[in-house]
Amino acid sequence: MAKGKRMTIQEAVQLINDGDMITFSGFTIWRRPMAIVYEMVRQRKKNLHLIEVNSGTHGEILIGAGCVKVLETCWIGHELYGKVGANAARKLKSGELIVEDYSHVHMIMRFAAGAMGVPYLPTRASLGTDILNPEYDALGKHGLRDGSNPRIPRRKFEFLTDSFYGEQGDIIHVPAARPNVCIAHVQQVGEEGTVRVYGQRYSDAEAMKAADRVIVVAEEIVPEEVIRQDPTANLIPHYLVDAIVEQPWGAHPTGCFGYYEVDGMFIRDFYNKTRTQEGFDAWAEEWILKVNSFDEYLYKIGFRRLDMLRANSSYKYSTRVKRGA
Amino acid sequence: MRNNHSPAKPGEYKLIELLAVAGAREIRDGEVVFAGTGLPMLAVTLAQKTTAPRASIIYEAGSMDGRPVHLPSSVGDARCEYRASVSSGLLDVFSQLQRGVVDLAFLGGAEIDRYGNVNTTSIGGDYFHPAVRLTGSGGNPDINSLARRTVFIMVQEKRRFKEQVDYVTSPGWRVKKWPGGEWVTRQEAFGSVFRGGPVAVITSMAVFRFDEETGEMYLDTVHPGVTIEDVKNNVGFDLDVSRCRGETPPPTYHELYLLRNVIDPEGLFLGN
Repeated sequence: MAKGKRMTIQEAVQLINDGDMITFSGFTIWRRPMAIVYEMVRQRKKNLHLIEVNSGTHGEILIGAGCVKVLETCWIGHELYGKVGANAARKLKSGELIVEDYSHVHMIMRFAAGAMGVPYLPTRASLGTDILNPEYDALGKHGLRDGSNPRIPRRKFEFLTDSFYGEQGDIIHVPAARPNVCIAHVQQVGEEGTVRVYGQRYSDAEAMKAADRVIVVAEEIVPEEVIRQDPTANLIPHYLVDAIVEQPWGAHPTGCFGYYEVDGMFIRDFYNKTRTQEGFDAWAEEWILKVNSFDEYLYKIGFRRLDMLRANSSYKYSTRVKRGA
Repeated sequence: MRNNHSPAKPGEYKLIELLAVAGAREIRDGEVVFAGTGLPMLAVTLAQKTTAPRASIIYEAGSMDGRPVHLPSSVGDARCEYRASVSSGLLDVFSQLQRGVVDLAFLGGAEIDRYGNVNTTSIGGDYFHPAVRLTGSGGNPDINSLARRTVFIMVQEKRRFKEQVDYVTSPGWRVKKWPGGEWVTRQEAFGSVFRGGPVAVITSMAVFRFDEETGEMYLDTVHPGVTIEDVKNNVGFDLDVSRCRGETPPPTYHELYLLRNVIDPEGLFLGN
């Protein structure tokens, strides 16, 4: 049995280098690899280039902790539990963070191009917006489009017209996303690395296929022969996966379909603390740096709270968590 | 109260309930609706339970025509895909959008101009050093630019209704054609992919629509208790009020019953 891919969170994070271009599984505050993100802060990763279809709480933690130099995305916030990415906003204003804006379709097409092994793909989404304004090319403005980094394209967009059907109006080309590493949190992974995702798959397949290395954290590692009994239910073949880690609740405080709910109170509290750098630093001290492992973090969260978040096996979400005002 | 279809009186409903009802009335039965988080979820769910039972909802995280029995808190929520027709991912639903299957988009915004250009990216200062940095575009401009009709739901404030927004995140009826940046009509910029555009802006004070010729915003109805003068005082450009049809129809008791007891009994968006 191939045990080579199985490792601890600490070992998996050692596969990530300072300066790497990183992407993630999930969507805003759903199925983010939080156990890995916390350990990245503990190991003090630096100069990361996050490239994401959309960001969220996980991105805010890495940005607040000073791990990130560039954020390419279409969105950062905490949905209902925090209306903006306060750390990203503050560090953008201070010049500590470069933010490159694309739209949601632009980003998913960039990842599709990366996953397909082509340098760009065409789209007609978001014409007429300042996202396409050449003066708002943040990477270009910072001199990062000189071709010296093979993962940063020489231009943000390319404008052209359709010569196949003679359609009127602009077509834009968006450059492929080519991250070093995709860090994913999923429900199940086989012992050899076959990935199964339950519920909405967001942009997970494109993110994992576009990356050179894939780290998968799963709620449970299951026998490969069992996960192969229904291959049509699987998302990613084992040979694309480099590391597997078993960590139940590893996406907390984000949600995980069929396993647990978003911990909205936790995220709202986090968001409120991120209004100042001092507030974030104190939060990180309490929840990341003074906690030695993810198990210790879960112990600090407490059984009662986790049990309230646990998904109902029929609905696939918690029916007991208090969500409203 | 359950079967009472008469209009509720001012004081018997909250503003957010009026907005949800006004939103629901924009949806035609059988349409494919692409909706964002929050008020749009209340509006589309209400429409499905009243005037548009055959409307299908796409949420951008990847669910198609879910039949939630508990209100989702965001589009990535497991509740969105309860009894969905298909649940997949972003590339699938955004490709369908680009392909042209979406009739109506329901979106929000922080700032809007007279042509319906919306900003959700940054306000004040310059783009690289803004006074206020917001979430960024999300799917707002994609959905708005590729659906047939868009309805925006926003807070009404003078500083949000501007002659020109600080950053065009989502395109209105007159847009910039890139890479040159000259202002052109939406039709000219979009060419063969032009399908329509913003048709209504539902705010905390009024409902606005857009002139079919000029693409300029005009006042359609004012909410009960709000005057035309109040609205003009909260718009930062010269607003056409000559076509105002009167008051926004208030919720019926039946609609309020559905919103409070069936759609959002947890008070997720309605509050308590």
